[in-house]
Amino acid sequence: MTGEYRKPLPRVTSDNRPFWEATKRHELRLQRCGACGRFRYPPAPVCPDCLSEDAEWTPVSGRGTVTTFIVMHKVYFQSFAGDVPYNVVQVELEEGPRLTANLVDVPNEGMTVGMPVEVVFDDVTPEITLPRFRRTS
Amino acid sequence: MSIRDRTAIVGVGTSRFVMKTPESPMRLATQAFKAALADAGLARDDIDGLAINIGWPLGVDYDRFAEVCGLKIRFADQSWTHGRFVGPALQHAAMAVASGLANVVACVCGVSFIQERGLLGGPGDFEGTREEGGTHEENPVYGLTAPAAGAALSAQRYFALYGATSEQLAAVPIAFRKHAMLNPQAIMRTPLTVEDHQNSRWVVEPLHLFDCCIVSDGASVVLVTSAERARDGKEPPVWIGGMQGMRAGRDEFLFAPPGLGIGAQRAFRYTPTEDELSVYRMAGVDQTDIDALYTYDAFSPLVWFVLERFGFCGLGEAAAWTQTGRIELGGALPMNTSGGLLSEAHVSGWNSIVEIVRQLRGACGERQVKDARVMQWATAWGDSTIFHR
Repeated sequence: MTGEYRKPLPRVTSDNRPFWEATKRHELRLQRCGACGRFRYPPAPVCPDCLSEDAEWTPVSGRGTVTTFIVMHKVYFQSFAGDVPYNVVQVELEEGPRLTANLVDVPNEGMTVGMPVEVVFDDVTPEITLPRFRRTS
Repeated sequence: MSIRDRTAIVGVGTSRFVMKTPESPMRLATQAFKAALADAGLARDDIDGLAINIGWPLGVDYDRFAEVCGLKIRFADQSWTHGRFVGPALQHAAMAVASGLANVVACVCGVSFIQERGLLGGPGDFEGTREEGGTHEENPVYGLTAPAAGAALSAQRYFALYGATSEQLAAVPIAFRKHAMLNPQAIMRTPLTVEDHQNSRWVVEPLHLFDCCIVSDGASVVLVTSAERARDGKEPPVWIGGMQGMRAGRDEFLFAPPGLGIGAQRAFRYTPTEDELSVYRMAGVDQTDIDALYTYDAFSPLVWFVLERFGFCGLGEAAAWTQTGRIELGGALPMNTSGGLLSEAHVSGWNSIVEIVRQLRGACGERQVKDARVMQWATAWGDSTIFHR
């Protein structure tokens, strides 16, 4: 077992770079429209409500609730072979947008829709930190 | 001017459907094409249009197919390689004919899911790595990959919101298996029980193996022409009475009805409006006129979603609605009478379009829907086409 991280990494683009720069600092920031004030995610060059290009990468609470979850049983990526069966969740943040991630420290049979969760940060490589979630204590 | 009854399907053909074959998708497609020409009583040179939804690397492309079959094509249409475009490809064929861009359009699907399994999830699934998420909500960074995972996200939330269960979901693949058992060309023809379904392995929980369609090889060809030409055909025309296009936007996730709250979708209680179901108005019918309904059943929850999206039952009611044989042959609304993608074959839904044509011709023998007059194609992502004899 080497320390090398072999799982897929996010595509960092001109639209989403500030998101990944923030998670590297262990901050969760989403775009907030400068014109109408709405948060949006995934990152996009304009606000889907008002088409304004004016947006600020604004810190969010990191708190939310699980809106759905699955348990992956089939191995599609060899790099996940040691993890099956593993969970994937969608979390609706208090600010509105939903993020896809994994839930840490919750057994697969213990997950529920509506479970309150909060963000944790996982430094998977020197460049990339993934937000994940844990049950709110 | 409405496109109602201005075009018709006049010929259908298929290759054999198989789980594994050394035959190329091109060979299967040429077999289906020749069968469709014979069925329609048309000559190769009558074909001047092509509409294709599944091209390389899963299936045959328009340019190679035209070269291989010696066609002279003046209307060629090919979508992104996805099954969801089966309805739109057929609609484009009808629109091309109605607008005079072609006399006869061949909708061609020759596909090998077996030879290219690596595309459906995992490192070979390049599309799933799209910035800000794949089209089925893939996010491989977190291990979320393969279309089945997207359907599972929707199924889990639907279960939680409406108290539906995996045992109830089993009614869908069981119904379609019963249909396949009456269809000599279907791949899966052994009986399926709730116990079999529940005991089958998880693919992506909460979806069991039997909630996921067959991965197979095969070809289907559907020939669309104008009303004038159709009346002189060898077989009675199957009229294209109405259509509505595929939906997109923030309230749309491919594998969920609006309002379910997956990904960017808003979460709200969705009831379809008359405007959102304009296919019925165009065709001059309503849900009670539909003798059988056909849908893209890549995963069994999609069948529930289409029933709710098109107003056959209310929001959250599909689980109970499908328990009593309603979607089986002999029920109030038979669905996917050939066995569909779950039990006949995965020819990207074209096998179901072929089945609609054969049903409306009264040619389906043991599985014939009695006195069938009007049938509908409709998908969880909102496109629909209504056919009648």
